[in-house]
Amino acid sequence: MVSKTEETQLNRLENQVDNGGGGAWEYLCLVRKLKVRRSEKVLKYGLSILNDPKKRSALGPEEWTLYEQVAIAAMDCQCLDVTKDCIKVLQKKFPESKRVGRLNGMLLEAKGSWAEAEKAYSSLLEDNSLDQVIHKRRVAMAKAQGNISEAIELLNKYLEIFMADHDAWRELAEIYVSLQMYKQAAFCYEELILSQPTVPLYHLAYADVLYTLGGLENLQIAKKYYASTIDLTGGKNTRALFGICLCTSAIAQVSKGRNKEDKESPELQSLAATALEKDYKQRAADKLSLLTSALRSLKI
Amino acid sequence: MAAELKYEISQHAYIKLVLHALKHNTTAVNGILLGRVNPQNENVVEIIDSVPLFHSNIALLPPLEIALIMVEEHYGSQGLGIVGYFHANERFDDAELGIVAKNIGDHIFRYFPQAALLLLDNKKLEAVPKGKGQSPLMQLYIRDTSKNWKLAGPDGGSRLVIKEPAANVVLSDYISSEKWQGIVDFDDHLDDIKKDWLNPELFK
Repeated sequence: MVSKTEETQLNRLENQVDNGGGGAWEYLCLVRKLKVRRSEKVLKYGLSILNDPKKRSALGPEEWTLYEQVAIAAMDCQCLDVTKDCIKVLQKKFPESKRVGRLNGMLLEAKGSWAEAEKAYSSLLEDNSLDQVIHKRRVAMAKAQGNISEAIELLNKYLEIFMADHDAWRELAEIYVSLQMYKQAAFCYEELILSQPTVPLYHLAYADVLYTLGGLENLQIAKKYYASTIDLTGGKNTRALFGICLCTSAIAQVSKGRNKEDKESPELQSLAATALEKDYKQRAADKLSLLTSALRSLKI
Repeated sequence: MAAELKYEISQHAYIKLVLHALKHNTTAVNGILLGRVNPQNENVVEIIDSVPLFHSNIALLPPLEIALIMVEEHYGSQGLGIVGYFHANERFDDAELGIVAKNIGDHIFRYFPQAALLLLDNKKLEAVPKGKGQSPLMQLYIRDTSKNWKLAGPDGGSRLVIKEPAANVVLSDYISSEKWQGIVDFDDHLDDIKKDWLNPELFK
């Protein structure tokens, strides 16, 4: 998961390298650190370093990390010959390595040899049953074969052991959302908010899921979490601002004719609307009139 | 028996949708089709433009609702309405019209009963650089009387045509030049409102 500043930094670096301004190694390190998926660029720039003996030796012991990174990027781009070459080099340097064994497993996956990959992973797990990467590869394999229910089962089992793996909780939540299992997705986001209460992304996602579930209570809670997202992002999150407006409108619709005991204060909605209008005026002026009509239609 | 409805999609709308799918090739993507019933022939629905919507968490309502409001507002002033929905599945092997696509399709159907659901055909997409076919890379689904989305024709037959016959050639060119990098969808807009989901500069 990447923050806006991190993404901007990464893109700037990427542009620099694209335009011949150097910094390829820096870029590759940042991609590794942020765990983003930019396989075509990694392959291109990684290979340019690996194929140049001078640049390669300048890396020192990091050379092997780069081989691994390029091997994986190559698999993502279906350049399996490159992957095989990288693995060969790594195998020579680290003959008994489980980490290289993992790469071999991934290569089998990339070829679509699911049964063999499963065999390879199982045997690796016998020696180390707590290898998180391999457990997650099995989830990925289930997903890749379209076996979503197995992916969910494996991921749930994984999370029973590794319950602090936030990325895994997010992955599970997103799988649930894609199957419209919103209650289960909500549970995942609740876990995430409990363990990392100051990450705005979780508040926002939770609010989105609650809104989608619908019903007065969920809408009211969603509104609170859109509000906390705005709080955590200094008012800069467009989705949360829209969320407030949507919630207010939906709550008004649902509570039509009901006892208006908890009267919704209109301040939050008008603040959100004003913030949106100000932002659009400044940065997307051509869409301002669309925004205004959209907000108007939500005030029904 | 009523004449069969035909759908004619403009090259502009068509290419935008495919490029969007290519840009986000590791996730499902979707988009909205804009157009109208042909004023001279009520058996033809013209898909004149498209707006790429999302490449993440497609089944969440809030971003979809905002997008639909804004899209309808913009195109309404041009006399065009929402006439359908486009979906591309996450996995290459998945050729099924999923439940999320059907649900969104149902919603659009309520406002436009001749709504078209288009599903990207990955196998056809793979073949594009080699073949010189003119048929669109999408399957067409229409709602039948039993409220189900049915595949129209053996492979859409000739019920979905691209208005400009050379569209796949143009698409092939764009793929080689990686034109998809420039495509902006509604997700991008919500992350940074400076990005324009109308993609005004894309084909200049």
